[in-house]
Amino acid sequence: MRHLIAFRGHAPPAVEAAVGIFTAAVLVAVWELAARTGWVAPQFLPSPSRVVQALWRMTTAEGLLWHAAISTLRVWVAFLLAAAMAIPIGILMSSYRVIGAALEPTIDFIRYLPVPALVPLSIIWFGVGENTKIFLLWLGTFFQLVLLVADDMRRVPHEYVEIAFTLGAKPRRVLTDVALRAMGPSLVDNLRITLGWCWTYLIIAEIVAADSGLGFVIWSARRYVKTPEVMAGVVAIGVIGLVTDQLLRILHRRMFRYL
Amino acid sequence: MGADYLEFDRVTKSFGDVPVVQETSLAIEPNSLVVFLGPSGCGKTTMMRMIGGLDMPSSGVIRLEGVSVAGPGRRTGMVFQSYSSFPWLTVAGNIDFGMRYRDDLTAAERRDRVKHYLKLIGLEDFAETYPNRISGGMRQRLAIARTLAAGSPVLLMDEPFGALDALTREKLQVELRQIQMREAKTIIFVTHDVEEAVFLADRIIMLSSRPAAVVADMNVAGILGRSRPLAIRESEVFFKLRNEVLHVVRREAEEER
Repeated sequence: MRHLIAFRGHAPPAVEAAVGIFTAAVLVAVWELAARTGWVAPQFLPSPSRVVQALWRMTTAEGLLWHAAISTLRVWVAFLLAAAMAIPIGILMSSYRVIGAALEPTIDFIRYLPVPALVPLSIIWFGVGENTKIFLLWLGTFFQLVLLVADDMRRVPHEYVEIAFTLGAKPRRVLTDVALRAMGPSLVDNLRITLGWCWTYLIIAEIVAADSGLGFVIWSARRYVKTPEVMAGVVAIGVIGLVTDQLLRILHRRMFRYL
Repeated sequence: MGADYLEFDRVTKSFGDVPVVQETSLAIEPNSLVVFLGPSGCGKTTMMRMIGGLDMPSSGVIRLEGVSVAGPGRRTGMVFQSYSSFPWLTVAGNIDFGMRYRDDLTAAERRDRVKHYLKLIGLEDFAETYPNRISGGMRQRLAIARTLAAGSPVLLMDEPFGALDALTREKLQVELRQIQMREAKTIIFVTHDVEEAVFLADRIIMLSSRPAAVVADMNVAGILGRSRPLAIRESEVFFKLRNEVLHVVRREAEEER
């Protein structure tokens, strides 16, 4: 028992999992208790069991899955669009210093603009349809991702590039055979992290202008102070995020078995 | 080709305003192991990189077999100290990569050569293992095998054994010497380790601290012979030679101050 709490010590994976689940269970239990005893008003904090009930009702009778599917689709369309642009541009930026120097100041400027600040502008440009949502998500991810990709490329050890050159490779082959392979693991990691950010911007976009999606569900439930529904919507996003993240981690492990 | 197989013709190099290599003219024989020996940061790596076309001289020309070096290519293979092999390829895959840009070999010939060089470096049992699961010594052998498979006549080695423990290092030195003799390669080997230089070299080119200039040029093969069994390390000639080289190195360090 004692060695489990040694400073900078190790714990077996089973223990780590058990401790993690136990802590979460305790928090849920305290939450349930606080709600049941009326210690906090249910409009503010409905009990976990009521949230689960709401989640079940919304799934079976109120088309929550459809809203979730719409939201997921929006996230993926915008994310793939951002990635399809950011990967080649980011690679070019660190492969050719001039391109990097040309784009960096502009990208840095836009990168610091908070997405919500651009919502009005985007509605003026694109109306309140799908285009606005996709644009906002793209805006939030592309400018971050392009710099991350450029950095992944920059961190490819120069030795790998020089080895390829001294084996007779032309620059284009060095890029495809060596640089892309070398940056693969960190690129996939960065894509996974950026996909998470997409969800943040999605909710903003769906709250502002939408009649579908999880953000819309949460926002309309709030209007009638249906707190269990609001929380159920949030939980749904959390579950989708958790599942996606785990799937991408598995993909990462499969793609890069050599790590 | 004779003594002017590999030739430095009034070569200088500076990075911006900082001179790194003073005007140097040198001629190196084929099928020999030449060590560039000098203090850390003296410019010896830059001299080697210029042979590989990875850095270009600020003035002067480097010629290999009479043709000036205009950029990196398969004539000069590199073996680095770290990041010496590709982690995403297996051991066999790394050796095969050495031949990736050769269109004069059939698939069958490539397979045969992979097998041949796996055997040469004693890694047959690790063919399908990834480089991060083999030892540092094995990784350096792998890098050597890759350049051999590529068929580069000149091997450029930048302190390739610098990160290895003493025993592994000694073993690889013996192996490298054997490989050099068997494969008749010209090897340019950069190090700051005097023992390593004397044990490996046919010829030691000793460099001053930056900007590098040749301060001594020693024909080691003429004294120790070309074959280097490990026992030679304990012989009196070896000690004498090592001390002699050490004196030059110390004298250089003194003048530095």
